[in-house]
Amino acid sequence: MKLTPSKACLIGAALTATFSGLNAQDKPTIATVVKISGIPWFNRMEVGVKEFAMANPTLNASQSGPATADAAQQLKIIDDLVARKVNALAVVPMDPAVIEGVLKRAMDRGIVVVTHEADNQKNTNANIEAFDNAAYGAALNERLAACMGKQGKWTSFVGSLGSRTHIQWVDAGAANAKKYAGMTLVDAKNESFDDANKTYEKAKEVLRKHPDIKGFQSSAGNDVIGIGRAIEEAGLAGKVCLVGTGLPNPSAKLLDSGAITAIGFWDPKDAGLAMNRAAKMLLDKQPLTNGVNLGVKGYEKVTVSKGPGAGLLLVGNAMVIADKATYKNYLF
Amino acid sequence: MSVATRAGQPTPTMTNKPDPQLLFLLGINLVVLLAGAAVSRGAFIDPYNLQSMSAQLPELGLLAMGVMLAMCAGNGGIDLSGIALANLSGVLSALLVGQWVPFDEAPWLFTSAFIGVALAVGLLGGLFNGLLIARLGFTPILCTLGTQLLFTGLAVVLSAGASVRVGSAEPLMELGNGLLLGMPLNFLLFCAVALLLGMVLKFSPFGIRLMLMGTNPKAARYAGFAQTRLLLTTYALCGVLASLAGVLIASRNVNVKWDYGQSYLLIAILITVMAGVRPEGGYGRMTCLFLSTTALQLLSSMLNFVGLSNFFRDFAWGLLLLVFLAVSRYDLAALLRPGANRINPSAQLPPAPKRPS
Repeated sequence: MKLTPSKACLIGAALTATFSGLNAQDKPTIATVVKISGIPWFNRMEVGVKEFAMANPTLNASQSGPATADAAQQLKIIDDLVARKVNALAVVPMDPAVIEGVLKRAMDRGIVVVTHEADNQKNTNANIEAFDNAAYGAALNERLAACMGKQGKWTSFVGSLGSRTHIQWVDAGAANAKKYAGMTLVDAKNESFDDANKTYEKAKEVLRKHPDIKGFQSSAGNDVIGIGRAIEEAGLAGKVCLVGTGLPNPSAKLLDSGAITAIGFWDPKDAGLAMNRAAKMLLDKQPLTNGVNLGVKGYEKVTVSKGPGAGLLLVGNAMVIADKATYKNYLF
Repeated sequence: MSVATRAGQPTPTMTNKPDPQLLFLLGINLVVLLAGAAVSRGAFIDPYNLQSMSAQLPELGLLAMGVMLAMCAGNGGIDLSGIALANLSGVLSALLVGQWVPFDEAPWLFTSAFIGVALAVGLLGGLFNGLLIARLGFTPILCTLGTQLLFTGLAVVLSAGASVRVGSAEPLMELGNGLLLGMPLNFLLFCAVALLLGMVLKFSPFGIRLMLMGTNPKAARYAGFAQTRLLLTTYALCGVLASLAGVLIASRNVNVKWDYGQSYLLIAILITVMAGVRPEGGYGRMTCLFLSTTALQLLSSMLNFVGLSNFFRDFAWGLLLLVFLAVSRYDLAALLRPGANRINPSAQLPPAPKRPS
């Protein structure tokens, strides 16, 4: 094919016509960058970002993310957004360490940086955590205790002994259970490796070993599915309590059957909203002080402390513990 | 400065007819650059973005060079272990040098030691690939798939799965983020490597023999080429290029991790094929590879500027590749002339060479 100048012009014109409709206006832009596009968790977050964009017509807010789970791809997207000179970045890092360099370049360029799920991120103006890990673990355990009538044997599951947050959750749970003399923790911290099948096998073993067990507290996202299946197959749905981290859609069936008592999570939609609100406040030069209200459910009274770098660490109280009656409000 | 027009080295074409692939790539670069400038009202071609784009592409470009070298060697040559080796050399070097040399007290020593160790790891990894392929006769695609997993596994074990912080020694950071004459240093380094390797491929006995061997291994064998040595050199070069990419990644991101750039593997192959490197071996032009790298970077950055989904980018790359294959295989102008032979004879594949026994 000979690419004559006239042909090149034609192609150029066609491309220009295609893209000019999408041209961004000169409004301040807040760009949200997530770990991966197209998975339920971040689709739900996009709902929040869109809601923020609707409520703030003076701003441009949109969400993007790599098509593959690769920190390098996320890095490239942020690099390009920094070059485009967006006004603020709201990032959920795939790997906080890998993007330190580009976030520093962004901040040197005067771009406001807000992160989420990265309490070790140094180059950020503010990192937002949905909740305090110890408070979450205690809340899960409190729900379990209520279901067990504060009596009987219970056990805990973690994704792996290396996952810091899971250990924090179950430790806080164990500390909470000490309040009730009737509750005994047996065989604590079973490793599930976030694999529903492995968890199912493990849970069956636990049920055989302790026929009188009354409760399970689990941590990784797929644990409730595996343990729930084991409880249901043993005909113990509604008799043995199960409270753990899980997502509403995959857990729906087991919640309905009573095999899962309640699931805990945080709503990515609210996290997306909170990140964008915080970015807007920083753009408007409003201070983020202790107890600040981000105007999002669970983030009305945010604890603000100094982060690992120059930025702030914001901790909300946005945990959601949903059961059979309430999970339908959060279908994602 | 325009990235698109600063093509590697001027390569004289054998025939008077201009290379259609080169023209196509030049055209794509120009079109995307202009379209990007138009949709972003100039922001796409402001100096900062040109710098940002040219600083992003070297790591991928170096990996693509490795793939190109392996492909040119023929016999199904390919290097799948590139990014894994890049990460391994970054991780190993960061761990070793970080332990022995204090980066704040001796920044220059730290930088040179870091680069030295990384390149040595790359050389060893490349030689390992070369030995398996040349001496033991492993099929390159399977061999490098194996070593890819091996290198990744080693990097995981060494770093215990976490990212490793590279000491932020001034000269090393300068390599990743510094500018010289308004151009990123890592991009200048990439250009220098492209120029050097392009010259080697074109004019040195090694380059000429490599292409000849790729074209017809049997003839090369009967002509008395030292095939084992050629293959060893080729894969060792691939390894060094990969580790150089690892150094650039470390210098730009301050941190190295075993799973960085998992998606680069296929993109590097895409760049190579788009550059018209013949997968059967024996042909590849550095100028085209350079332009192909810039084209992919421009396209990807433009889509990020416009804010289109990254799934669309994959789609666009796939489309570009198919169009490109069509351009290189068919003389499209001849479609309009009835009765003409549409298949471009010069681009027709030679019969698959048999393995030398």
